[in-house]
Amino acid sequence: MNVGRTRPVWAFLTGPYALFLLVLLLVPFANIAVYSLHPYSPTKVFLPGLTFDNYRKIFDLYYIRLFGRTLRLGLITTAVCVVLGYPLAYWLARARPRWQAMGLFLLIMPLMVSAVIRIFGWIVILGRKGLVNQALAALALEPVKILYSDTAVVIGLVNIFVPFMVLPVMAAIERISPNLEEAAHNLGANWYQMFRRVILPLSLPGLISGCLLVYSLSISAFVTPALMGNPRERMVAQQIYDEVLVSFNWPGAASLSLALVLLTAALMFGALFATRHTGRHEKVS
Amino acid sequence: MPPSTELEVCGLTKRYSPQVSVGPISFEVQEGEFFSLLGPSGCGKTTTLRCIAGFEELTEGSINLHGERIDGKPPHRRDVGLVFQNYALFPHLTVFDNVAFGLRLRRLGKAEIADRVGRVLQIVDLPGMAARFPAQLSGGQQQRVAIARSLVLEPRILMFDEPLSNLDLKLRIQMREELRNLQRRLGKTSIYVTHDQTEALVLSDHIAVLSHGRIEQIGTPAEIYERPASAFVAEFIGSSNMLRGRIIERGEAGTIVETATGLRLHCSPEREGEVETAEVSILLRPERIHVGAPGESAEPGQNRVSARIADITYLGEDLHLSLDLAGGERLRASVKNSNAARGWAPRQSVELLVDAADLRLLSR
Repeated sequence: MNVGRTRPVWAFLTGPYALFLLVLLLVPFANIAVYSLHPYSPTKVFLPGLTFDNYRKIFDLYYIRLFGRTLRLGLITTAVCVVLGYPLAYWLARARPRWQAMGLFLLIMPLMVSAVIRIFGWIVILGRKGLVNQALAALALEPVKILYSDTAVVIGLVNIFVPFMVLPVMAAIERISPNLEEAAHNLGANWYQMFRRVILPLSLPGLISGCLLVYSLSISAFVTPALMGNPRERMVAQQIYDEVLVSFNWPGAASLSLALVLLTAALMFGALFATRHTGRHEKVS
Repeated sequence: MPPSTELEVCGLTKRYSPQVSVGPISFEVQEGEFFSLLGPSGCGKTTTLRCIAGFEELTEGSINLHGERIDGKPPHRRDVGLVFQNYALFPHLTVFDNVAFGLRLRRLGKAEIADRVGRVLQIVDLPGMAARFPAQLSGGQQQRVAIARSLVLEPRILMFDEPLSNLDLKLRIQMREELRNLQRRLGKTSIYVTHDQTEALVLSDHIAVLSHGRIEQIGTPAEIYERPASAFVAEFIGSSNMLRGRIIERGEAGTIVETATGLRLHCSPEREGEVETAEVSILLRPERIHVGAPGESAEPGQNRVSARIADITYLGEDLHLSLDLAGGERLRASVKNSNAARGWAPRQSVELLVDAADLRLLSR
């Protein structure tokens, strides 16, 4: 055996998926990038020639509002996921193994149900004659209009994305020894002080990954806003879908897609760069 | 003025389930004293400590600190410092911030915090380490930070949960000495939990030996070693030879016991009420056996027993001998590696001389 030469083990380990990504993601993506630079034609897929018109169009008020609404709904969804998910993650991280297994199963369950079925369930609950309004009517209260609004979109998105917040936060909290909590109490910290000075800073890397996951998933969501949102107040992914399949403006759709991807990537790197120092203390320098 | 009672634990009981419980445990710790809870794992010593710190709720009993009942208070309102076994330093904070943690919670001024942290780091001999993170320190240094972090708050008592068990042997001995000097110098009332008898003997003013959730004996190190109250204490502290026997005569001059194989031994008269049964265990410490040449005569008050060397373990400073008695019992003896010991070899016959005062009788 030739001991002297190191085999490129990493190539065998990462190769298959890298190939998969190359063929099925990077190539189509490059294709989209090319589309986005061609002029639009109502009769052809695109016209020859290069133009930045498709990108210039994004700065129209309509598209700025579209992106603004998308980012705002993403932000709200992320915030709600933090509020609902963090306490749950803490409980799961500190629960006995049996409770933890049960809790995780319940947490993941919404992901096992098809999006259409889950949303249909929400329509039954939130609709004009849905369970919520029936209950309000029974109490002689005014009905509310939740379905086909931003509220409904946030409810639907939170419903699926909470696990993406809980799992990384839970993993981070599990790595914090309960002894640290006790040490903080022993030094005179009440629960809130202990949380703010020990648990929160030490779980921050997990919280950041959770927020990035939920935010990037939310701003590219399509099915939930399409089925639960106001048809006139759309999110970016719906607009892309319409430009591809309704107005056949492939260059326009391509430029929107690329803008969304670049925006997501910029937010990700921005967040990672801003928080690059958290978690460093664990390494010995 | 006699020292006052700093901590009073009264009938402390913790029931986890009908089968698993600790206590009732009662003891007192005097001001300025170093008190150890010693016992094998699962004996309830850590549970006792966690009850005092407030991390476990008592099922029954009470805990008084400086005359004030504290067992109903939450952990953060007890004036009790705890040094954890794994130190529990905050990994995201520097040494300075770790030590300042409790001071900041007490809303002290910046200058005072810096002053007190600086002084305490001086005390634990960690100068110039304030800016480091725990992960950049050695085990011994982390240990000192943990002590400093508790010490800086000047708690009424300082508690240690097996603080040296994560260190290697050499460092353990060094830290043990430092801990002793530190405690003597500061006179801080301390409670120390350990399963290591040497640590307990070296450090403590008083030791409580625990077994199966109960206190077997409380006493000074010498009392516990010399006059163990039970076979458990005798076996747990130091090494020991245990022979089974029965008392056949009690007199002014002493007690005579006979072992199962007919060996008669003279013991010093036991104290009133110490041994109630006739069936006894006879405790003999290995280092109290004098090994002499065959025919060496006994002085008055000494027992003379013939034996044969079965095995010799060479430890440099000491020799450990396994000795077979005529009746078949085996004794272990620990002797200094002296000139006399040079000629010994397995299967050699020797004469054992044992002072009557070195034999302890324990009820069986």
